Amino acid sequence: MERKAEIAHRCLLLDKSEIARGWHLFELEAPLLACAEPGQFVHLRTGCSSDPLLRRPISIHYADAAAGRIRLLVQVSGRGTALLARSSPGEELDLLGPFGRGFPFLDEAAPALFVAGGIGMAPLFFAAAQRQRAGLPFEFILGGRSSAFLPPEEYFLDHGFAPLTATEDGSRGLRGLATALLEKRLAEANRPGRIHACGPMPMLTRVVELARAAGVPLHLSLESRMACGVGACLGCAVPVKVQGNIEYRRVCRDGPVFDGEAVCIGN
Amino acid sequence: METDPRLALDLAGIKMRNPLIAASGCYGFGFDYLPWVDPRDWGAIALKGMTLKPRAGNPPPRLAETPSGLLNAIGLQNPGIDYFLEAIRPRLGELGCPVIANIAGESVEEYRELAAILDRVAEVSAVEINISCPNVRRGGISFGQDPATVEKLVGAVRRVYRGPLIVKLSLEAGDIAAVARAAESGGADILSLINTLKGMVIDVHSRRPLLGNITGGLSGPAIRPVAVRAVWEVAGAVSLPLIGMGGIASAEDALQFILAGAAAVAVGTANFVHPHVAREICRGLQRYLDEQGMGHYSELIGAARG
Ligand SMILES: Cc1cc2nc3c(=O)[nH]c(=O)nc-3n(C[C@H](O)[C@H](O)[C@H](O)COP(=O)(O)OP(=O)(O)OC[C@H]3O[C@@H](n4cnc5c(N)ncnc54)[C@H](O)[C@@H]3O)c2cc1C
Ligand SMILES: Cc1cc2nc3c(=O)[nH]c(=O)nc-3n(C[C@H](O)[C@H](O)[C@H](O)COP(=O)(O)O)c2cc1C
Ligand code: FES
Repeated sequence: MERKAEIAHRCLLLDKSEIARGWHLFELEAPLLACAEPGQFVHLRTGCSSDPLLRRPISIHYADAAAGRIRLLVQVSGRGTALLARSSPGEELDLLGPFGRGFPFLDEAAPALFVAGGIGMAPLFFAAAQRQRAGLPFEFILGGRSSAFLPPEEYFLDHGFAPLTATEDGSRGLRGLATALLEKRLAEANRPGRIHACGPMPMLTRVVELARAAGVPLHLSLESRMACGVGACLGCAVPVKVQGNIEYRRVCRDGPVFDGEAVCIGN
Repeated sequence: METDPRLALDLAGIKMRNPLIAASGCYGFGFDYLPWVDPRDWGAIALKGMTLKPRAGNPPPRLAETPSGLLNAIGLQNPGIDYFLEAIRPRLGELGCPVIANIAGESVEEYRELAAILDRVAEVSAVEINISCPNVRRGGISFGQDPATVEKLVGAVRRVYRGPLIVKLSLEAGDIAAVARAAESGGADILSLINTLKGMVIDVHSRRPLLGNITGGLSGPAIRPVAVRAVWEVAGAVSLPLIGMGGIASAEDALQFILAGAAAVAVGTANFVHPHVAREICRGLQRYLDEQGMGHYSELIGAARG
């Protein structure tokens, strides 16, 4: 029996740069991954020994199908990501994927609103870039600690859009949280058709409240510790509401993007 | 991958293309890797542990990485035997390799009932009874510790299940050889070992146990030497064929278990790192046989015992 798809990819690292403090942008030659959809992720090894043992899930940050290239945006947050940050162009990275179900309805005409907290912008950037290319309307709200901890504005402008930004110290855009921008935006008369969000849990909790109150459909990309990445180990389970009951769903296979109504966040 | 007669075996009635088994709980019901990995790379696939009633499983986080290891506390999440019969059983033929049903219960009666049901399921080639899961409060490990209870449990299952019966042992039992002998007298055909070892990790920032279930089961390379030792000990205590497992990720690892006395080996955690691990281990075993000029891998079973 011939398997339909490749799961394992050794990808040449073409370029690597630190585009914000602790955020490393990887450009990889990956023709078979370049057809991935926004919201999908790859599962990558951070070294070649048994320690660290597990792969790390990282969103596809951008894919250029024509050039056969993908980008990953990795924030150093522990041992594995620190090891990754030490790799250099010319090396090969060991990736599995693409895995998971991405953001739905990205090709609909109604305006979309993306809400990104910190590194949560990695998959949303890809979704926004896709709508930009298709000439579909969207807005992008971005929140971060401080300007130095976010990619420069040109990074977004190169892809044809400018995010509405909030930083906790006011060094870029509004002083405050991304959700304050969202609240303001949802108070306006012309509401977006749909919200897609990714970011830290406190932000997502507030986004769920605001979207519910405004009656705008919401899709959230969730994080969870993973082992297999394909649905086999049940290690990445998160509780979701299914017909009034709470059941566990796999972030890697049933997500990482979940319906805002189903997730057990907020009330 | 091509079938190599030098790797084929009949494991107490389970007809396997090669001695590699996908370890229970690490391969779902066999379908999750299907788009990418040919299930016929495996000699057999052990399914996720099943119970009579559906089980929701433990609250997250369910995983913690440890040095060369993985701590899991899934809590036997499974859809229950009725769902299995209705929705999973009809598809098992697609896998094209023998399937081992892994069962767990909270009482002897539950194990017996599950085994009696599976006795009538032709798609299942063997039953593995998990008397050693560290992640469920009742049943599981408590069954695995006391030889007399193990003998009674295995005997009860033996009376209702006619196919190859595997008993999965834990090292939590103080004397694993005694438990192995009890399983043998109870009527087991095969013993598999080891299940995960109970452990825990504490998050120093939150000052709380990291896992939702507090404790979990340790697997991966970290437990390999302990598992090899367990196979060595049990191989000396019983005459049943053994399935060795615990941290196997390469042909060399698999060979250690075989040389210690295992007739077959199971691979769990390594799938998460290398989805093509079965194929790669088979190739490695073939190379080893070539180098040693051997006709069949079974000549190596227990060969380190002198
Ligand atoms: C679907 C998905 C997409 C992601 N996309 C990105 C991305 O595009 N860019 C990015 O920088 N990060 C992303 N993350 C988070 C990233 O996986 C973690 O930051 C990373 O695993 C941390 O590894 P570490 O070794 O540096 O940290 P450690 O804390 O040393 O890791 C220890 C263990 O915990 C796991 N872990 C720790 N934090 C997380 C987390 N937040 N989410 C999941 N597992 C975690 C690790 O995988 C590892 O198994 C994503 C997570 C998920 C689930
Ligand atoms: C995520 C996970 C789930 C498991 N679930 C089960 C299970 O349901 N039943 C069982 O008998 N063993 C279960 N095990 C134990 C494995 O089958 C195996 O005994 C153990 O992981 C050691 O092998 P390894 O180091 O190759 O993973 C599980 C292991 C892991 C890592
Ligand atoms: S990581 Fe294994 S099921 Fe999701």
